[in-house]
Amino acid sequence: MEEEEKDRNIRNVHSGILSPLRRWGTKWSLWPCHFLTSCCGVELAHAGACGFDMERLGTLNMGISRQTNFIIVEGTITRKMARALRIVWEQMPEPRFVNVIGACGQRGGIFWNSYNVTYPWKIVPVDFFIPGCPITPEGLIRGVRAIQEKIDGKDITTIKFKKVELPSGGELEERMVPTTPKLLAPTPEVKIDVKKSVDWAFGNELKGRLKRELEGLYESITITDTNRIAIRATQEKFMDVAQRLSDIMKMDHVKNVNVIDVPHERKYIVEYMVSSYSVDELMPVITTVFTEIRREAEPEFPSLTSLWESANYSEREMHDFFGVRFEGNEGMKGKFLLAPDTPETPLRKDFKIEEERYVIEEGVPLTPPIDPPQYIPHPSSVSEEEYLKMPAYEDVVEEAEKNDEFVAFIGPHHAGSGHLRWVMRMKGDVIVDVIPDPGYVHRGIEKLAENRLYIQNIPLAERPNITDCINMNLGYVRAIEDALGTEVPERAKYMRTIMAELSRIGAFFYDMGIFPLFMGHSSGFMYSFAIREMVLELIVRMTGSRCTPSFIIPGGIRRDIPDDVLDLTRNFTTAINKRLKKFENIFVNNPVLISRMKDVGVLTREEAIKFGIVGPFLRASGVEYDVRKVAPYEVYDKLDWEATTGDAGDCLGRIFGRLEEIKQSVRIVKQAVDAVREMPRGNVISEEILGDYKEASGDIKGYLYNVYGNLVLPKGEWTSVTESARGTVLYSIISDGESNVPYRVRVITPCWMNLRGIIEASKGGRVADFWTVYASFGYFPPEADR
Amino acid sequence: MSGMKKVVAPEYNLSDKIKTHAYAIGTAMEESVYPHTATVLYPREKKKMPDNFRGYILFDPDKCISCFNCSFVCPANAIRMKEAPNNRYYPTIDYGKCIFCHFCIDSCSGGALRTTKIHDVAYKDVDEMFTSTEEMIEPPEIIREDKKSVEYVIDETDLHLKRKKERDGLFVEAVPPVEIPMVSQCVDRGSCLACKICERVCESGAASSVVEEATMTVKMAIDAEKCTGCGLCVKECSMQILRLVRVRK
Amino acid sequence: MMEMINGLMNTMLSNQVSIPLIEPMLDMLQGIPMMGYMIALVLWKPFFAIVICPGLTVGGVSLLFFPWIERKLCARIQWRVGPHEIVWWLGGVIQILADTLRFLFQEVIVHKDAHKRYFLQFPFLTFIAFLLPLLFIPAGNIVAIKTPYGLQIVLLLLCLFPLFVMGLGWASNSRFAYIGTVREAFVYFAEEVPFIIAALAMIILYKTSDLTLMASEQCIPGIILNPIAALTFFIAAAMATSRMPFEIAESDQELCAGPHVEYSGIAFGLIYVLCYEKGYIISGLMTVLFLGGGAGPAIPYLGDLSGAFWFILKTYFVMTTLFVLRTIYPRYRLDQGLKIGWSPMLIMALIALAVSLVEVAVI
Repeated sequence: MEEEEKDRNIRNVHSGILSPLRRWGTKWSLWPCHFLTSCCGVELAHAGACGFDMERLGTLNMGISRQTNFIIVEGTITRKMARALRIVWEQMPEPRFVNVIGACGQRGGIFWNSYNVTYPWKIVPVDFFIPGCPITPEGLIRGVRAIQEKIDGKDITTIKFKKVELPSGGELEERMVPTTPKLLAPTPEVKIDVKKSVDWAFGNELKGRLKRELEGLYESITITDTNRIAIRATQEKFMDVAQRLSDIMKMDHVKNVNVIDVPHERKYIVEYMVSSYSVDELMPVITTVFTEIRREAEPEFPSLTSLWESANYSEREMHDFFGVRFEGNEGMKGKFLLAPDTPETPLRKDFKIEEERYVIEEGVPLTPPIDPPQYIPHPSSVSEEEYLKMPAYEDVVEEAEKNDEFVAFIGPHHAGSGHLRWVMRMKGDVIVDVIPDPGYVHRGIEKLAENRLYIQNIPLAERPNITDCINMNLGYVRAIEDALGTEVPERAKYMRTIMAELSRIGAFFYDMGIFPLFMGHSSGFMYSFAIREMVLELIVRMTGSRCTPSFIIPGGIRRDIPDDVLDLTRNFTTAINKRLKKFENIFVNNPVLISRMKDVGVLTREEAIKFGIVGPFLRASGVEYDVRKVAPYEVYDKLDWEATTGDAGDCLGRIFGRLEEIKQSVRIVKQAVDAVREMPRGNVISEEILGDYKEASGDIKGYLYNVYGNLVLPKGEWTSVTESARGTVLYSIISDGESNVPYRVRVITPCWMNLRGIIEASKGGRVADFWTVYASFGYFPPEADR
Repeated sequence: MSGMKKVVAPEYNLSDKIKTHAYAIGTAMEESVYPHTATVLYPREKKKMPDNFRGYILFDPDKCISCFNCSFVCPANAIRMKEAPNNRYYPTIDYGKCIFCHFCIDSCSGGALRTTKIHDVAYKDVDEMFTSTEEMIEPPEIIREDKKSVEYVIDETDLHLKRKKERDGLFVEAVPPVEIPMVSQCVDRGSCLACKICERVCESGAASSVVEEATMTVKMAIDAEKCTGCGLCVKECSMQILRLVRVRK
Repeated sequence: MMEMINGLMNTMLSNQVSIPLIEPMLDMLQGIPMMGYMIALVLWKPFFAIVICPGLTVGGVSLLFFPWIERKLCARIQWRVGPHEIVWWLGGVIQILADTLRFLFQEVIVHKDAHKRYFLQFPFLTFIAFLLPLLFIPAGNIVAIKTPYGLQIVLLLLCLFPLFVMGLGWASNSRFAYIGTVREAFVYFAEEVPFIIAALAMIILYKTSDLTLMASEQCIPGIILNPIAALTFFIAAAMATSRMPFEIAESDQELCAGPHVEYSGIAFGLIYVLCYEKGYIISGLMTVLFLGGGAGPAIPYLGDLSGAFWFILKTYFVMTTLFVLRTIYPRYRLDQGLKIGWSPMLIMALIALAVSLVEVAVI
């Protein structure tokens, strides 16, 4: 199918008397459809922004499929997105071309054995594939050039390999192929409340208080780590425990809802991680309440949404993953994140994903042959009317029509939707309700992480959010370090802080680039991406990769950062001012924008806590919670800086707060660089974790696998919270103490928590306000969907 | 709480509005006269990448000890080993999966893998993206339309683009990893089952078995001279009695 | 028959565009039989106005090059380069030609739900209708139809624009097009009242509504005589042509270009240039009303074209300002746009009217 289609488009351009004109016009006017499918879209934005400016080649990004002739598939196509991709392609007028950028769209990349990933080349005919994860903007433009040449009728090969004979003549005989490096305990013992003796005075006090308040309701209360307390309860009394935590202990939000499948013991462990923003001492403490329930086909569990609304979406997610029905949550009717044709309950342990292979074997394909979704090609059983129809929420439409409302289905292919789809009910110009339909970039990293070595999960951990890669990476690594009790060398801590703050600045300017686009203001986009290009230049010089460095490893960083790059970073802290000033003048302080943002999408302090908002957006509503201040990590407590709060809780407050926050970040970077430059060169990796390989403490080169390949975490649950650019990112690793792969990894990203906030803040506003709210939250769908 | 700064958006009155209007218009007018253009005219010119840039990977079979580390550590399972005519396993890379994390290069203790600055290529087919060992040895040729190289220079005031008339080289000298010599050693000879797994898995022929005629038993031996310290036997040993130890000199 | 031709000839010859620069060439061409008639026809002022300047030729060339100027200038302000690689030594000047050719040869999709006939007819109808005001706008002293009610007629024709856009949206029959169409209708009313009042202020000031006279009798440009009217007119023009910050009806990120969402191929190509066409006409009108039309130092070689030259230059200036607004401002919300139209702008327009009355009374 693909081959025929591909040729047809080229034949189309080459046919007719006017073919030279037609070829020339098509060649220089390849307008890519603004169809963001996954995180490579970040680099697409860079290619379109002033750093590379794709418009030079006549390649102008355009939002509407009907008016474009080129799809750039940016990375992963999930089972849910596959249908949208096909629809967009079908909507496009001929001749049309498709490029796939990023490894995910080729053979799945890092998500090659995910349950929710398909191959775009089985869905639409693809002209060129550009490798990379993510690709560089140069690579993307090379792809555009390749299409231009192809339209010209030239058959080009962009890379030519020279073949060299391999040495021959070995004396060895038949060899054994090494087995997998993964060591899996046959019957792993999964325990969440493993006692750890820590020096934590408040913990003992809190434990005593909890024991008093929960008298007769709990089974055990254990201190599992500094600032971590686990309460075991029975299923019957779970609700009562939660009620008391909420009412008496003033624990006002849920950080995480998790289910752990233990098939050999026929149980599920259901846990809620709760914490408090109202009581200062409890802010850094995460209290885990958990219980064990029988493992059935569809077990039932009381939903805690009546106490903590912030658990709502995570409960729905768990319903998708494990089939646990949370009674009382209204979202249990269908799937939330997953597509209709994704395997049922994919995170249960009995759902196996493809295992890695380490040698090339005859007849074994390089990747599992994933079938395209069943509607491609057009199945004869389905009528033309029904073909490719997206779920239409008939009940919502019916109800809306009764109330004289208008319903619009927006996304996932929409110039202002990102990868999210939502159903907007509006009355006149006022939004009545917004129903989110996330999961278009859900790639199942939690399942994948259960099947990979701890070290292999580092790149995986940063993939959800490549705009703020370092903080994602740092969060995961910190969970491992907490478990191992590793002390990171001082120099590495400073380096990590510098990189984390650069990453925060980068993420801010990403969001500040998307915001202007939603407001139709392309200068703001260009200006902020110019600054972001500077940040990426620093990151590429430090780590060698623009967006996905995977540079922070347990115990330190991969290698020391050279002095000239540090000097460059120091220069950056002052050089940013000039362009930032211009950006503020033309965008942030623009009176039109101010009038769009002021008093729009207001979330009061109570609402923000109720709906579980995190990060700068929570602070903008007046909650003084910044992980870097509340539970400092790295060297944040040694530097002089301020966290930002606000009280307006509107879009303007969120933006001004974040703008101030990155000014503080610049301040942090400046201090940290100065401190590092005065420091003698030394270890950047903890010697304790290196073991025999102490010489590698300045540069892990050569020994990464030797050192980290067999990393095993102590038994228990290890939770880390890290302040990433858009809020608290939570990693929870459950280890059985024997395997060198985690038993379960739970990732809660800030955008996932903020999704509810976006929906609630935009209700009652004007239709156009939705985009203001959406952009002011810096919503990045791959991060939310994970 | 200390260290918190409250950001309050100002109230805007008419004069503020006029001022901000003027600033916005002024910035646009200023830029239309003296623009701070930051565009790299790729493919006409190419941005200079640092030497540690993570691009396509080259391979040197002479330095390879066939330890499988690159394949084991690859998070995307893009590297699979293939048996060469000399009965050794060498890596192959599927660029349709490679995420350029370069964990493989950082795991290659022999320094057989090295990076290049190649990153801008396009393939017509997914199957072409598989790169065999034979193709990874010599530097590949790519289409280059660039005549100039551009370097981002950030000084204390601003970002500048420094253009040079010469092309940026794509290949960099590999920095060899520090040498940490290791050999495999049996720590509990009494428990050895003589299952010969170490011999069968050994790439360098260091592990061998000797049949003792008298007792009709098989004894395993590891030749420390030949051992490359790849650790495969340690990993595969059915009794877990092999260890990698530092070579003491 | 001959008499009729001669009569026609005389009419035409009495109203010729004189261009000293090409006169030697014309004299040479006169030698060729029948060529005299041709030249007389082409240089006949009304015909010249329709076909050459400010009509089809200049208008067409504007449509081909103006987007390039706009894109280059915006790119410059935005720290980038803009269209470049297609003939790079000219800075990609024929970029729009390539886009046009691409649209021309692309498939035109008529989706299932569209009102098929109207869906296909409207882009062409709209394109033609949008050209009509050009008949009345004088470039210097060249004008197709000279009438004392020139301004009123142009305003009337301009009022038709939104109707056609609504037609496009209605024919598309899609949800986004529907919202966009409704917004267009709202904005239309908000913008039209101050727009007309501002123009009215100028009629009072010049005591005529003949556009040629209005242009030629401005010894001091209208923008100085009545700056408030000029500002109101300019903002209303930005609203009428859906420019930032008032690109409310077709906001790309909210409604995917609203009324145009379903159009593809050459139908969209026509719609794409519509906004430039609108911009050209309104800028032309603004030039006539406020910037003295074709007034400027006479260039002897160009003769009558001198006025046209200044007119085009000024029009381009206004048009550039109008279009470059998109690099400066984000877009207003619908209700804010309407509020601006109905309150500050209406008040400004009334003040402008008062200013005109006072000035007329004083002078």
